[in-house]
Amino acid sequence: MSRSIDLMVAKLTGVAKDGALRAGRGLSGLMGQEITIHVPSVRLGTRADACDAVGGPEELVLGAYLTITGDVTGHVMLLFPEKRAFQCVDIMCGSPAGTTTEIDEMATSAVGELGNIVGSAFVNALADDVNLVLHPSTPTVVYDMAIALVQTVYAAVLSQGGEVVMIDTIFEDSIGRSAGLLIVAPDPISFGKLQELAA
Amino acid sequence: MTAIAADLKRLSVGIGQIAVTGDPASVLVAYGLGSCVGVSAYDPSSKVAGMVHVLLPQSDSKANTKEPARFADLGVDLLIEELARQGAPKRRLLIKIAGGAAVLGPANAEKFKIGERNVEAVKERLKSHGLWPAAEDIGGTRGRTLELHPANGKTFVRAAASPATEL
Repeated sequence: MSRSIDLMVAKLTGVAKDGALRAGRGLSGLMGQEITIHVPSVRLGTRADACDAVGGPEELVLGAYLTITGDVTGHVMLLFPEKRAFQCVDIMCGSPAGTTTEIDEMATSAVGELGNIVGSAFVNALADDVNLVLHPSTPTVVYDMAIALVQTVYAAVLSQGGEVVMIDTIFEDSIGRSAGLLIVAPDPISFGKLQELAA
Repeated sequence: MTAIAADLKRLSVGIGQIAVTGDPASVLVAYGLGSCVGVSAYDPSSKVAGMVHVLLPQSDSKANTKEPARFADLGVDLLIEELARQGAPKRRLLIKIAGGAAVLGPANAEKFKIGERNVEAVKERLKSHGLWPAAEDIGGTRGRTLELHPANGKTFVRAAASPATEL
């Protein structure tokens, strides 16, 4: 690993903390309970246990994927274990707990909104901290095995050549159950810009 | 249908990995293939089975060859080599492939087309060895888990929230 990548990772770790805090605050409000944010880990490449936070590689997850354009480009993905996503939807829609049991139009729309709120909170924190213009895209709602989604984002970044830097933030509820996983991955083409800021 | 017997040893074939075995008590499994492609190969005569889990189409897209089997071209070559070493020559191989989906939605897949390109690259490389998939479950928008049973050569594919079906 080069020193400039090291510096960038260190800088991103600091910025990611602020982003995670803001994203977690948004999530706490939506879930109607206190959400604990694990200090985001900024790492190179994929880790075999990347999906443990949402229940394991084959765990069915529901979430939102968005891309970032602007001064820096990249990927943002927010994933929840299926049951947890349904709980969120119930809270967001003001329905009694247990109302949502499948991915209907309401669930899709609510999860897209979650992606908007949490993803944008993170992206905005990043933009403020580093003084960049960043635009999150409209979220695409994703529903699949966790590893299939994580791997596909990893492949999209790796296919552009160079290092893959992934920022993972794990959200937990008050009794330590996983409440979600947020993955942010800048495109390698943006490393130069991020490294300038870190220098 | 029970594709998975509890007493079978499940050998997970992770991204960029190759596994080859003749152990009838094992199952080769590539979990959650998104844009990745899983290639399974089986020699009915020696009952030797192999699988590779590729991530990207071409090895020349970047210099990194730490895990050569991450790339379709090198991955297919290495799988065939290893199978031959363990008594399964390529002329006897029954190939099946799964994966190459656009799990982030068709609009997002459009940008990189990794799933589609992975499938193409795998087929092209197989063709250069005189091989062609006997069965495939590719494309679409859903992730898949691919498994191969060395005991009988049966291959199963399971999409998210769906039962396994034989390929």
